[in-house]
Amino acid sequence: METNYLELTIGAVLVYNFVLSRFLGICPFLGVSKRLDTALGMGGAVVFVMTIASCATALIYRYVTTSVKIFGYAADLGFLQITLFILVIAALVQIVEVILQKFSPPLYKALGIYLPLITTNCAVMGAATINAGIDRGVWPATLFGMFSGVGFALALLIFSGLRERLELSQIPRPFQGMAIALITAGILSMAFLGFSGIC
Amino acid sequence: MAANKPIPPKPLSFPGGIHPAKDGKSLTEKKAVVAAPLFDRYVVQISQNVGAPPKLVVKVGDAVKKGDLLAEASGFVSVPLHAPTSGVISAVGDAPGPMGTLVPAVYLDADGRDEWTANRMAPLDWRTAEPAELKNRVRDAGIVGMGGAAFPTHVKLSPPPDKKIDTVILNGAECEPYLTADHRLMLEQPEKVLVGAAVMARALGVENIFIGVEKNKPDAIDKLNELAGKYGVKVVGLKVQYPQGSEKQLIYALTGRCVPEGGLPMDAGCVVQNVATAAAVCDAVESGVPLIERITTVTGTPLAAPGNFLVRIGTPVIRLVELAGGVTEEPRKLILGGPMMGFAQRSFEVPVAKNSSGVLLLAASEIVQYDSAGCMRCGMCLRGCPMHLSPGPLSMLIENEKFDLAAQNHVMDCLECGACAYACPAHRPLVQHMRRAKAEIRKRAKK
Amino acid sequence: MNTILIAALVCGVIALVSGLVIGVASKLFAVPSDPRVDLVIGLLPGANCGGCGKAGCADFAKSVVAGENPPNKCPVSSAEQISAIAHALGIEAGSSFKQVAVVLCGGDLNQARQHTLYNGVYDCVSAAMVAGGPKSCSYGCFGMGSCARSCPFGAIEIINNLAVVHPEVCVGCGTCVATCPRHLIKLVPAEAKVHIFCSSPLKGPEKKKVCSVPCLGCRKCVKAGAEGQFTVEGVKVSVNYDTGENGLPGEDVVAAAGCPTGCLMTVAKHLETEYAELAEAKKETENGRK
Repeated sequence: METNYLELTIGAVLVYNFVLSRFLGICPFLGVSKRLDTALGMGGAVVFVMTIASCATALIYRYVTTSVKIFGYAADLGFLQITLFILVIAALVQIVEVILQKFSPPLYKALGIYLPLITTNCAVMGAATINAGIDRGVWPATLFGMFSGVGFALALLIFSGLRERLELSQIPRPFQGMAIALITAGILSMAFLGFSGIC
Repeated sequence: MAANKPIPPKPLSFPGGIHPAKDGKSLTEKKAVVAAPLFDRYVVQISQNVGAPPKLVVKVGDAVKKGDLLAEASGFVSVPLHAPTSGVISAVGDAPGPMGTLVPAVYLDADGRDEWTANRMAPLDWRTAEPAELKNRVRDAGIVGMGGAAFPTHVKLSPPPDKKIDTVILNGAECEPYLTADHRLMLEQPEKVLVGAAVMARALGVENIFIGVEKNKPDAIDKLNELAGKYGVKVVGLKVQYPQGSEKQLIYALTGRCVPEGGLPMDAGCVVQNVATAAAVCDAVESGVPLIERITTVTGTPLAAPGNFLVRIGTPVIRLVELAGGVTEEPRKLILGGPMMGFAQRSFEVPVAKNSSGVLLLAASEIVQYDSAGCMRCGMCLRGCPMHLSPGPLSMLIENEKFDLAAQNHVMDCLECGACAYACPAHRPLVQHMRRAKAEIRKRAKK
Repeated sequence: MNTILIAALVCGVIALVSGLVIGVASKLFAVPSDPRVDLVIGLLPGANCGGCGKAGCADFAKSVVAGENPPNKCPVSSAEQISAIAHALGIEAGSSFKQVAVVLCGGDLNQARQHTLYNGVYDCVSAAMVAGGPKSCSYGCFGMGSCARSCPFGAIEIINNLAVVHPEVCVGCGTCVATCPRHLIKLVPAEAKVHIFCSSPLKGPEKKKVCSVPCLGCRKCVKAGAEGQFTVEGVKVSVNYDTGENGLPGEDVVAAAGCPTGCLMTVAKHLETEYAELAEAKKETENGRK
């Protein structure tokens, strides 16, 4: 299958933005977007995890679930796809966590509960299943994962910037806190609708 | 020769600023200064200068003569305090201070004779005196900045050796609405102002002397111009704009130089003094009189006869109100200083200090009580701010107690001139926010 | 059948490989950490109030484990919690006594005269900078709630423009003490039930002009109490909280003294009267509306 890389990139970052268009990964989007610096750290972690997770799951998909042959017996392991993806992603995140703790304790501290949460993050799973769904090659799948992560980080950064300013505003009592954050997220998502139709 | 030095093009103004709708100067600008009579009791606050408060040297029951030392300087940034008249110290204790708190003060019961002390300082010939001698005289006379800041004048006259001072600027802008004390001073005693300027220039070894006067005082400019040549002083008419009389804005208007962030006028090679300070310096040098009296504008529509008065330091404000004919309408607000930067008072018993340039009474009909609303991001405050700050966003940061961010956004450069609060259509108490942040940041820096 | 076997095999192999990699990585990038720190963090209240002088509970836990601070340095933890921490670390608990904050002013809107209308920033620290705020007494509580907002435990209530500490909620972290611009809040032993709710050093008649519940300095309480239970500085009388041999004054002293203004009373009584007054004020406004 011929892949248009430009289309793939723009599509992953803007048009089909994971948070604002596909509504995946909302938990860290709302949880870690209070401050710009933690949002930056979280964005970086997601880009990293999504890239390697996409690569690993594409490999699994290509060489294990669809075409495994053991002792001459072939089997279609499509039903095992989700289980295997979870297994691989969980292991990957664990490794990332261990490495982060060693080399960047402040970032490790800042990400707190959200790093383990990436394990079950639907954005990461989503990237893997989308790749599997349209049977992308390993290289385009990795690229797709990376740019989806970039799109996620972008949304997170924009939103945390907004929230830092929201915090200074005088908001009517019923809307304070998460309520106004969700409204803002909705409006931001609507703004991203403007990209639809590019590719 | 100073005259041959090229003078940089002068902007005669500064970016930002406001034009208060009601300047109220017409109430008193034609009223000649009247010397206040002797009252029976004076309340002299001990700490009337920025820096270390002076150390009390008298005790209850002591008889003092006019000009006697009440307290002596307790450090470099400190000035002595003198008795405004002769009499007996009846008490040493708390008195209402200008900030609403009680402050230590000396109560002096006048004996009515108003006799001068025997140890009065001898007159100096400023044309031949050494600069150090002049500086000591300024300190011994207890002179502080009389425009409002009350910073000891001798400290300004003693810059550290690495700062080159080339210009002395006298501040006759008097941009505050209502106040006319400096205006009348320049009109009635121009000689004193000019001599004071020349004395300070000699103390600093500077030949470039400017007097900046707002153009709404043409008579004062003419009067000063008549005599200015004799003392090598250049009188400059400035655009009428608030806060033209702020040091940094005045320096920019007169020299085109900018004081660096967090810096002092000396960083731009200038020393700025109020015209009233200059007159006090002249008195101290030429006749050995310490700073015990000043010209104060007592004004406001509720007063029967507002005017400018020569009052002793320590006169309770209530006496001045009586002097100005009492009130014809019930006053609602008493402000010490001008309406923009002055402080609302809680008591008429508050005494006049060295830096009280005005006493302003406002009637109920002149005061509007606003409820402040949220910032609407209209940017009026940005346009008004002479320091190019953004008061609106700063106030929101401060409301949320983000003092670190406020400091990053230069809240410490705020002059507290009140232009932003005046301009704000939502009537936000912006200056109060800035003052709180500045106090808080200073407190944290001390820790 | 084959499919099941193969699926199990594939999953097993992938899991084994991942497990090995994680195992190697955690050995390779191991960070030496003290499990006791986490243990202590778990035992601390987790309010991060800063009452101990550290940046937060985690920071304090580290210093406790390192032996820099005894566990009783935490003002929030109860004696049982502190002994639990000490037990977990196998160290001496150190004696601790619970402290609570008390606002030493009794002048609410009904009692303290207001001399001016204040419509600036609604915050005590800001109000203190404008002619000393709206209340005539320059030593009284502003009642604008800076302390209540700063309290991490919500122990301070503003009743009728007067801050009152609920001693059963207060843990004595001292955040409010540092906040109050008038320095009216004191940390006192939790056993202290009786206080003099006035901090003004002015003379009696002057206080009487601006407030109906000042301490007039009549010293009836001093005479009624045992020696050393009260301290007198000039006019101002205050309860001596540094317990001497006679202990803190109890409720019997309140009854015996018969304080003429009623500023000597127990916290419970103080709260009770404040609530009663608040209810009355509410009724009045409602009647006014009708």
